[in-house]
Amino acid sequence: MIEAVNLTKHYGAKTAVAGVTFTVKPGMVTGFLGPNGAGKSTTMRMIVGLDKPTAGSVTVNGKPYVKHHDPLHQVGALLDAKAVHTSRSAYNHLLAMAATHGIPTSRVNEVIDMTGLAAVAKKKAGGFSLGMGQRLGIASALLGDPQTLILDEPVNGLDPEGVLWVRNLAKHLAAQGKTVFLSSHLMSEMAQTADHLIVIGRGRIIADAPIAEILAGNQQAKVRVRTADVTHLGQLLSGSGVQVECNENETLEVSGLDSRQIAKIALDNHVLVYELTPLSTSLEEAYFDLTKDSVEYHSQELDDAAAPAPALEGTLK
Amino acid sequence: MSTTTIPSPSAAAGGTGLTFSGVLRSEWIKFRSLRSTQLLLLFTFVAMVGVGTFAAWARGKAVERFMELGPAAVNGPGVSPSGSPKLTIDQAIAAANANGLNIYGTPIAGIQMGVLILGALAVLLISSEFGTGMIRSTMTAVPKRLPTFFAKAIVLVVVSYVLTLVSAFVTFLISIPIMSSAGITMSLGMDGVLSSILLGGVYVAGVALVGLSLGTLIRSSAGGIVVLVGLFFLLQIATQLLGLVPGDFWKYVGQYVPSVAGGRMLEIGDKAAFISPLSGGLIFLGWIVLVTVPAVISLKNRDV
Repeated sequence: MIEAVNLTKHYGAKTAVAGVTFTVKPGMVTGFLGPNGAGKSTTMRMIVGLDKPTAGSVTVNGKPYVKHHDPLHQVGALLDAKAVHTSRSAYNHLLAMAATHGIPTSRVNEVIDMTGLAAVAKKKAGGFSLGMGQRLGIASALLGDPQTLILDEPVNGLDPEGVLWVRNLAKHLAAQGKTVFLSSHLMSEMAQTADHLIVIGRGRIIADAPIAEILAGNQQAKVRVRTADVTHLGQLLSGSGVQVECNENETLEVSGLDSRQIAKIALDNHVLVYELTPLSTSLEEAYFDLTKDSVEYHSQELDDAAAPAPALEGTLK
Repeated sequence: MSTTTIPSPSAAAGGTGLTFSGVLRSEWIKFRSLRSTQLLLLFTFVAMVGVGTFAAWARGKAVERFMELGPAAVNGPGVSPSGSPKLTIDQAIAAANANGLNIYGTPIAGIQMGVLILGALAVLLISSEFGTGMIRSTMTAVPKRLPTFFAKAIVLVVVSYVLTLVSAFVTFLISIPIMSSAGITMSLGMDGVLSSILLGGVYVAGVALVGLSLGTLIRSSAGGIVVLVGLFFLLQIATQLLGLVPGDFWKYVGQYVPSVAGGRMLEIGDKAAFISPLSGGLIFLGWIVLVTVPAVISLKNRDV
């Protein structure tokens, strides 16, 4: 269980996290989704006390992380696959981490086997690939068999088998009643793993709901209408709560009305309609829709690339 | 220091919960598991004993030379009192000591090598964690943070003291035959010999504490080592230059520099300086506190 109340972090004049309040419940996988620079990592770092909040507070399993007598048994965190000394072997790294809590060597060997590191455990961690480093990070997160697992972009750099393994691990631990909180900037990843989503953009919570609800509710379903008389039908359909867009020739995209209502209006007014297609919202679209105003680093259109780039458009506005 | 000892083992992992002895064991594992650290320690031992052995030989030669030069060596050229043309061995040793050769301090003649290498190692012990990102793993496991600093300090103090002690004793054993060939007898019972062997490690351990604190404050290996060298080598040179300024004030300032004050602790035989060995030790302790306190506050409060 993670509870954040009005959690805020400023770095100088820049606001990384702007007063977020959320609860991550046990027994399910909670996804933490947002574009790059949205404040995901900063929030996670504040949960385990690496960064001090400018305002607000966050507790894990009822207490601030720093107040726990057995932090590694409370929270396992993978915040940064690079959080190892490059010249130390993976085995010695885990051994040193385990020693702080008197965790026996047998558990160190166990997590090495679990994460598939046995073959490289005695090698210097500095020589690891991104995927191997990620596995080592997950191994140290699992060392204390924690009640709460916090994983920041856990599938980054993993091979397909590793990605599948992380997904299953997250679901397996959640099924055991543990709290699993994982971040990603990839909606598709979340769709396959998470039960609940917290979406963050520019330091603010944009959505906090079960994943199905985000899919169904957050964006109104659209209907594609092909008609000979775009202007006339457009006028007929428009009204309160209805949005009509005309992007293609003889094609309208209507939200706020379902196919049946549109067909009825067209029939009553004798307008020819030759296609009516309900458009389902993909998770990807829902995500873009939620975060479109809060992307910190907008990509440039290729044509604009030569022009002076407003690199940090979000912050300069 | 705040340590937690309430056991609350987790089912699958086992373990005792976070304890200070656990943190200490963890820091020891980290210390011994880096090849570069092992090599540096070996190199430090070789360098301290090597420089000490060379010093024993050079000082033996110097004493022989003072004996040959006769009273001129003591009183300076031009003053040639009548009597024996040669000095006795005791007079020659006194002459050498008066000229800053500190014969009985030979076991710790190589101590500056220890200061430089172990001091730098102390900076690296924490700055390399900031450099590689390891510090985030460390501070996630020990979120109260300070137990980690104190555990590192204990590891450093013990390693520095023991290594300097062993090096000084080995240097002493090697020096005995070298010095006796110059006619000098050296034994543990002589003024300054035993105390220099025992106290040399205290000085090096103190430098290591300063190094650890600088690494914690500055968080950069290069920056920390530069400041350390500045404090323990360059500051002394700078104040020696200032000593040329007329007036007594600038001559006194040089006595308070960490390397000079710390050095006073060791030079039991030398009564010339106005700061006593005890005061020297206390001034040195003051310098340690001066960097350790801000380091501890910084580590506790800054984001990592």
